[in-house]
Amino acid sequence: MNNKFDALKDDDSGDHDQDQSSPKDSEKVKIEEEEKEQNTTKKKMVVPGAGEHPLQYNYTFWYSRRTPGRPASTQSYEQNIKQIGSFASVEQFWRFYSHMIRPGDLTGHSDFHLFKEGIKPMWEDDANKMGGKWIIRLRKGLASRCWENLILAMLGEQFMVGEEICGAVVSVRFQEDIISIWNKTASDQATTARIRDTLRRVLNLPPNTIMEYKTHTDSIKNTLPRVCVFL
Amino acid sequence: MSTECQKTTAKAIPSTKRVTINNADHMPHDYSTTPGGTLFSTTPGGTRIIYDRKFLLECRSSPLAKTPPRGLPTIPGVTSPPTKEPNKKTLNGEVVNKDAADSSSAGDDAQFEMDI
Repeated sequence: MNNKFDALKDDDSGDHDQDQSSPKDSEKVKIEEEEKEQNTTKKKMVVPGAGEHPLQYNYTFWYSRRTPGRPASTQSYEQNIKQIGSFASVEQFWRFYSHMIRPGDLTGHSDFHLFKEGIKPMWEDDANKMGGKWIIRLRKGLASRCWENLILAMLGEQFMVGEEICGAVVSVRFQEDIISIWNKTASDQATTARIRDTLRRVLNLPPNTIMEYKTHTDSIKNTLPRVCVFL
Repeated sequence: MSTECQKTTAKAIPSTKRVTINNADHMPHDYSTTPGGTLFSTTPGGTRIIYDRKFLLECRSSPLAKTPPRGLPTIPGVTSPPTKEPNKKTLNGEVVNKDAADSSSAGDDAQFEMDI
């Protein structure tokens, strides 16, 4: 990397560079067809089972991984991200979560995404276009606990910001991990403040942890974050 | 040999939780919590389903929460123990082939293997 901003690009959760570099054409075609089949046939209605505790919203788990050193274009980003499954109740959530590796044990440049059903974990999705995210960088060893606390708070509707929450991401990177929570309206400062306060309350972060708010359009442009908050 | 036995009376499962606060210091500092935690809450503008962390963790031990989910894709290192046999060289995620062991899923499952 000859540009220091390249290093920053790769470190952000859920971001994908606008660089070229997509798979060879023949492979690409095959990936697209298989991807379409996978991503469109997962439209079965998910409902809570008998005796289960319903969630306010249905959610979908996604997983993505990038070969280090290979920047992802927009198209290959969509191809690299896979649905794991959707759930509508607390018990269904645990079924998935209990059968997934904890983020602290993931290898490589990997992410888990947990988004409301119908919202893709990409800034281009309608729900995310005008939105942004709080991001928290963590030293190694904290991601599993913080991710769990974050998603339990999200599923349990602890953020109290109406429909604004879109989803959460945990990103495993080389020397740090990043958790983030995405909301729909970056300019809604009451919402972003309330999300920040809830994060402080539910995450039990180490003192001096920095929380940054970034709009998705800022992330694309690789500008400096708008707001930095010291806990 | 046990010498003390006490009879317990059966009680109905409580549907509400009463928490008495006598001191303003015991009020939570965050506007989004109720003292003692919440079970279900009604919020302004309608009823929202709210669960606190403790309750969600308790649900984990229910038998309903333990069976493997239907249609869980097999992703080595992610959803199943890491495997050492990649079937295909992949870039960053290609659908390879179905895992024969996971036969309970419907035909539209997507499963794939990756090099770790």
